[in-house]
Amino acid sequence: MGLLPEGCIANVISFTTPRDACRLSSVSTVFKSAAESDAVWERFLPPDYPSLLSDAASSSSSSSSLHFSSKKELYFSLCHNPILIDEGKKSFSLDKQSGKKCYMISARDLLIVWGDTPTYWRWTSVPEARFPEVAELICVCWLEIRCKINTRSLSPRTLYAAYLVYKPTAGSYGFEYQPIDVSVGVVGSESQTRTVYLDAERGQRKRYQYPRRIGLFNRSRRQASMPKENDGCYPKERDDEWLEIELGDFLNKEDEDGELEMSVLEVAAGDWKGGLIIQGIEIRPKQGK
Amino acid sequence: MASSSSSSSCSSSSEKKITLKSSDGEALNVEKNVALEFEPAKGFLEDNSEEADDEAIVVPLPNVSAAVLSELIPYVKQRLELSAKPVQKKLIKAFDDQFTRHLSDDKLGELMLAANYLGVNYLLDVLCDVTADRIKNKSVEYVREFLGIQNDFTPEEEAELRAQCPWAFEGVDQD
Repeated sequence: MGLLPEGCIANVISFTTPRDACRLSSVSTVFKSAAESDAVWERFLPPDYPSLLSDAASSSSSSSSLHFSSKKELYFSLCHNPILIDEGKKSFSLDKQSGKKCYMISARDLLIVWGDTPTYWRWTSVPEARFPEVAELICVCWLEIRCKINTRSLSPRTLYAAYLVYKPTAGSYGFEYQPIDVSVGVVGSESQTRTVYLDAERGQRKRYQYPRRIGLFNRSRRQASMPKENDGCYPKERDDEWLEIELGDFLNKEDEDGELEMSVLEVAAGDWKGGLIIQGIEIRPKQGK
Repeated sequence: MASSSSSSSCSSSSEKKITLKSSDGEALNVEKNVALEFEPAKGFLEDNSEEADDEAIVVPLPNVSAAVLSELIPYVKQRLELSAKPVQKKLIKAFDDQFTRHLSDDKLGELMLAANYLGVNYLLDVLCDVTADRIKNKSVEYVREFLGIQNDFTPEEEAELRAQCPWAFEGVDQD
């Protein structure tokens, strides 16, 4: 097959993945040229990327427009620098390995019960957030956050997971040992509910010192239908220094209309809790699947 | 298969036969509509359209062997019949899968070169897809071996390319 013309090699590479294409650049000079061609990277970009880019251009207040010398450069820019769309209420990016679509729905676009009552929630801005505004939980008994996204805006044939992206403030309280119900599911069908903890400290203690200390209290009652996952109940630190907790996953099939709904809920105990900054809910492909 | 140069009762031009001559000098008789799927043959027939008797035309295909042509011809013939019917995409996909499933790596390469030369793009796409599946998540060394490609980078160039995207080299399949 050594005689394959470059166009044919590019065609082969376009049927692989972005990760494969990056690796295949090292095969030979002809492969490098094919693996970097616009023909290949155009295929790795989501079909609706032009409209997402123009949405971003009109959502952005700055006049800097996006200019790229190649489709590969555009691809990696979208992986590393999420663009704001939908009037700055969502961010859009690509998963580097697969090119699948990722979104973060900003706090402003979430339904936060009591969110407009300044005694309970405060709207503020922090430099480390990608959105102009974040929601700071002062204190509530009734914690309820919901959001929806159309499944058509996600990449088809992809296992997605949703994550609440947040961080505790210095005075965070009421989340130690406090089970929170989270769920992900398509509206109208049964959703997957599980129990998590938002307290990072406890998560760390558990991870590093008491790996199997389950007997503290009965966590299993709400988890009966959940597959046990390593540390899935505790937040993880992200590269951007926010914390995230998985809300659940969802297999997006092909060409099916639906509203995917995610929720974070603690209304059962009714205790006061406060001191969280919510950046948003992120939806991205679940790794390792 | 009987040749009938005076086939006045034949309504379909598809039953006219053309002769293709392979790189190894073999003559293969094919229906004209099949031959027209091959770009070089189509061009040749257009250039020689004043020739009244198709039967007398011999189209040289100097880049494709008889062995490869005799695999391509039945595929194209059946694919044409399939696409003439209002069938679902699924059926065509199943047909393509069946055609490619048992192809050896060498045969796959030969067919890809031939489909590329003959301009049979629907087959080329299918073959590229199959090839892609066979090199996905494989090491660079494996791909070179698989496709018979000479590494023409200097060790420094290759090291630099790898350094640009170490994440793309993590966790590839064992060769």
